[in-house]
Order: sequence, then C-alpha cells, then structure tokens
Amino acid sequence: MSVRIDGRTILLEGRCSVEDAETLLLALQEQPDASVSVEKVQKIHMAVLQILLALKPEIMGADASLFLSQNIFRSLIWNSDTGAKSF
Amino acid sequence: MDELLEQFLIEGRELVAQGGNDLAALAHDPQDAAAIDSAFRAFHTLKGSVALFAMQPAERLLHAAEDILERARKGANPLDGDAVTALLACLDQTDRWIDDMERQGALPGDAQGVSERIAALLTATPCEDTPAAPTPDDPADWIATLMVREASAIAQANAPLTAFRYTPDPACFFRGEDPLSVVEAVPDMVALAILPVDGAWPASKAIEAFSCFSILEGLSAASLDVVRAAFRLQPDQVQFAPIAPVEAVRQASESHGESRMLRVDSARLDAMADGLGDLIVAINSLTPLADTAQQQDRALALTIRSVQASIERAAGKLHRDLSAVRMVPLAPALRRLPRIARETADSLGKAVTLTITGETLEVDKQIADGLFEPLLHLLRNAIDHGLETPDQRRAVGKDRDGSISLSFQRSGDTVIATLSDDGAGIDPHRVRQTAIARGLITQEAAAALSDAAALRLILLPGFSTAATLTEVSGRGVGMDAVQAAVARLRGTVEIESIIGKGTRFSLHLPANALTTRLLVVEVGPERYGVSLDQVLETVRVDRAALMPVGGGLACVLRDRTIPLLDLAALLHLRGVEGPYAKLLITQSSGERVALRVDGFGERIDTVVRPATGVLASARGVIGSALLGDGSVLLVLDLPELAS
Repeated sequence: MSVRIDGRTILLEGRCSVEDAETLLLALQEQPDASVSVEKVQKIHMAVLQILLALKPEIMGADASLFLSQNIFRSLIWNSDTGAKSF
Repeated sequence: MDELLEQFLIEGRELVAQGGNDLAALAHDPQDAAAIDSAFRAFHTLKGSVALFAMQPAERLLHAAEDILERARKGANPLDGDAVTALLACLDQTDRWIDDMERQGALPGDAQGVSERIAALLTATPCEDTPAAPTPDDPADWIATLMVREASAIAQANAPLTAFRYTPDPACFFRGEDPLSVVEAVPDMVALAILPVDGAWPASKAIEAFSCFSILEGLSAASLDVVRAAFRLQPDQVQFAPIAPVEAVRQASESHGESRMLRVDSARLDAMADGLGDLIVAINSLTPLADTAQQQDRALALTIRSVQASIERAAGKLHRDLSAVRMVPLAPALRRLPRIARETADSLGKAVTLTITGETLEVDKQIADGLFEPLLHLLRNAIDHGLETPDQRRAVGKDRDGSISLSFQRSGDTVIATLSDDGAGIDPHRVRQTAIARGLITQEAAAALSDAAALRLILLPGFSTAATLTEVSGRGVGMDAVQAAVARLRGTVEIESIIGKGTRFSLHLPANALTTRLLVVEVGPERYGVSLDQVLETVRVDRAALMPVGGGLACVLRDRTIPLLDLAALLHLRGVEGPYAKLLITQSSGERVALRVDGFGERIDTVVRPATGVLASARGVIGSALLGDGSVLLVLDLPELAS
C-alpha cells in the first residue's frame, strides 16, 4: 500500500500504482484540506497524478529521487496549486 | 508578476483593441469580409491566450464568439447589428477580465454568471446551437496554445522540436496502461503539461478514479520519427507537430518582410535618457572651458571648440535616435476609451458613437502615457455634461446617438488632441454666473471676460462642485484636473463651444519631451530657467511705456494692453531698475501676461528633472536642470506664477 494517512497528511510512498488512485481520492474527499507528502514517491501512476492535479491539495516533501529525469513531473505537481489549468 | 501573465496582459489587450477596431468596421458594414477575418483571428488568438490561465469563463465566452465569426466567415450565418453588439459586449467583458487578472490574478467570483449572460446574448442572435465547450481537436488550437505556453523552452532550443498531444483513452487504466510511463519513454523531453480533457478539472465528487481524464502535451528534442515510435502502441491517441526553433521562425518572418519588434522595459529607456541628459550637461561644460582657454592659448580654445562641436553632433544624433525609440503610437494608450465611452453612456441612458482618428500618430512615451487621464476625463465629461439625452436630442432634431470624435494631429513639434462632441454646447453666460456664485471671480471681472475667456472658467479649481458632479464624471475632481494633467505635460487646453452645436476641447502638447529648450533669465542676483514652450515672445520696452493700472502694471503690445507682473516681486527678490524693461510674454489661463525680468541669458537644451522633495511643493517651479558648470538652475512654471 503506497497511500498512508497520518493525521492531516496523506503520505504517498514508493511506487504509487493505479489502485492507489481510489484510496487517495477517498482520503482527499474525506479531508479536502489535507496535505499530501510526495517525499518518498519513487514512481507515480497517471491515475494518481491526475487526482493531485485536479484537487490541488497542498503538496509537501522536498527533493527526493525523481521519477522523471527532467524534474518535470515534480514541477507539474507544485505548479498545479496555483489554480492554472496548465503550467 | 509572472512573466507569462505580464506578456498576456500586453498581448491580450492588443488583441482586444484589434478586435474592437474590427467590430467598429463591422458596425458600419456587417458583411465586411476583411474585418470578419481579422476579428475572427483576434478572437481566436485571444481564446488561445486566456486558455493559459484560470480564465475558463472567458475561454468559453470567446469560443462562442469565435464560433459566430467562423459561421459568418463561411457565409453560413451573416452577421447583423445585434450580433456585432453582442460580440462587442463579449470583447468588453474580456477586457474587464484582463484588468481583473492584472489586479488580483484571478477572475471575480461572478465571472461564470457574467459569461453565461453574455453568451446568451450571442446565442440570441441567429447563430444558434453554439457549442459551449472548446473543441480540443482543432489542431491549430493546441499547437498555438502549446507554443505560447512553452515559449521559453522553445526559445532555449536551438534545434527543431517535436510537439505531441496525447489524449489517452479514458478506459486505458483498465488495460493496464499508464500514460505517464508512455511519456516517460519519450526521449529528450524538454517540456510537459498535463491538461484536463474538458477544459477544466472535474470537481472532487465527479472524479472517477479509474478513468483517465487527462491530456498530456509535451515537447521533445527528438525527431518526429523517434517520438512517434514511443507512442507506437497508441497511434490513434496522439497528434504530432514539428516546432521550428525560434531562430528559424525569426528568419522565416524576416524573409517575409515582417518587422522584428523588441519589447523593452520603459525604465531602461528612461535610464538611457537620463544618461544622455548627463552627457549633454557634460558637453555644455566645454563652453566655459574654451572661454578660459581662450585667454591663454587661442589655438587651444579653437581646438576645444571644434571637438565640442563634433561631440555635440554625435550627441545630437544619439538624442534623435533615442527620441525616435521613445516614440510610440497613441493607439495603445487609447484602447480603453471606446469601452469606457460605451459604459459611461449606458449608465446615463445615453447612446454615443466615439470615432478616433489619427491614433497611429507617434509621440514621446511620456506624452502617450500622460494623455490618457485628461482624455478620459474630457470624454466622460462630454458624455455626461455635453451630450443631451436621446429624448432631448430628438426634440431638437439631432440624431438619437450622440457623436464624439477624438482626433490627433501633428503640427511641427506639437501634437494636438481634439475631442469634440455634438452636444448642447457650453453657455458662457451660465459659466460666468456659476463662477460668480462659487466666488471664483467678481461680477465685474466676469463681465469683462470675452465669451472665449469665460469658457475657460470651467478649468478653475472649485468650478465643479459636488452639486454639479454626477457619479460619472465626478470622482471628486473637476475640469481643473484636466488642466493640471495637461500642464504637467507642458501643454495647453483650448475650448471652443457653440450653443446647441457642441463643444471642442483641443489639447496642445509637445511631441518630444526628452529635453527641454530653456531660456535663462536673470532676476536680481539669481538666474532661473524658463521653458521656451511657455514663452510666446521676449520684448524690451522703454520703462516709460509701462502703465499703472489699478494696483498693478500693464503695457501695450501690438495695440493690446496686457497685464504685467514683476518676476522679482513674485519670487520675493529685489529687482534691478534699468532704463528698459525686459519682458517675457507668456499665456496664463488663455490670456497673455507679461513678466518683467532683469536680463535674458543663454538658451540651453537640457533635461529638466521633475521637482521632488521641498521643490515639489514650491509654487511655480516645474523642476530643476543641471548646468554645465555643475550648478543647478530652477526651472519656473510661468503660467502658474502668472495666475
């Protein structure tokens, strides 16, 4: 299981697969103002990423191993909470 | 501010202005094919630009408008007057939203409702069944939007790029596909964006966790074939487009003879102008040096003078070039006026046609920037106080719609902005009465004024009071604000009015504002600069020709008696009495006034720095100028001193 809830923080860890999308969605529906920590993410599935982009929770977690060489996905997640639909 | 947003504010407004011009042409002739084409392009590009920001209501509205123009273009649904009016409402609203984006970085809360209301206007026109959602499949759309969004990545690339737009099948997750992994396999990625399929991300409740609702758009430095290979399992879900590097794009556009524009922060130009001013000051200091050398070595003095002349020539050229760079067309500064005219007229239940001509005229940036405020005030005033209501207009046989024209002309070094209306005109008799009632002028003085001079009374501070100000032109300032704003630009205001026919305001402004030609005058032991723009002429008269009139002095010049003021007295200095009186003739409040000085000095071309600190509050001082010998010259504002 790569989605863990710790109080008001939802932690994504390791390889987040398509099954984690529903868990994350439910957790964010329950606590819309929860923060999501991506510090320990190694790989993220499109199904999980699009939920982060759509719901724009506060993203936490400093630099860690990147799941794409250009650091592009990380900036995508960070920029997504500016409210712009693209970046 | 975000660089992308900054760029959008500039370009978005240019597009609004472009669309506004086209719609103005369409208002005259709704079948003007060139105007329909141009308007379509403006709306289309605007739609692409707003799509980059959280402006979905604007995007939807512009899409609906674009659709109407598209049908008109194809001849499917010709435009009519109502459609043009609705399109204009759509453009005005977009303009307001751009203002909102600048102010608060977001659209106001009511944007959705406003968008729907205006969209309803659009669909009420013969073009029905307008689809509300953008058509993401239009290839031109996504490429244009992507190129704007990824402009910096494209600018940094020095080789062709390949753009792709990957719209995964919504059910792809069930097949074990991960679009992100697919994209990860694309080599040499330089940019990636993930966009919602429907133009906006779904709300929390509406999300289906196992359905893909994202579109992935990216740029790769790899060739089209290589990128295509990465998507070999999803061939029907991806579109590709080659993107030429910026250098190539630029060369291509050059070869088409298009102009290359460079946007430069105006502060940099101001800094250059300041630097040039310092240079001119430094060059001026060669004159006293040559004079000193003259006493020792005439040959050396001659050499210094010839060197000075060649540096002056070079600096003069630099000055002309820099002035040319600072010359900007008036049009951008005026682009908000048509919308404001419509809004103002609407709020007063009046209708107005505003025609602007000569707006392509180029003037110094300072003038272009400074002109908006007084023109805005004059325009509001013309609609509010100048134009009659539609009923009144009909009663006197005029068109129901008032007509206001704003024109710009160049005359030598002067730009003349003329705003005329076909309203009721200003009654000089009523102006006199109001001025007397407000205690601005005595009954006798008012009676002595010519009608033309009486009209100028409306420019006096305190002429407009709360009782006469409506919400529209009011805002707590009267016409004196126009006078003050124009005076700051070293310009003058002229008023002509014919009762029943209309009123014409002419603003005369210098076209070049970089350096000012100053005349140095001596008053007692002091030297001051006066702007030659403010000096009508300088004369020397016999002291015996000065006549005491009332408590003051006057003199006769070309058969006209003009009041005379002593500059020394105005400046609390002791003047020098000589056999001749040296007079500066200036114009204050439309009347000629003579100012007596003790002597005329040299004429210099220099940069006048605006008065700051203590000087700013001193009456009659425009600013200061640095002289060649390092001393500071105070520059006087003659009309203000004489008033």
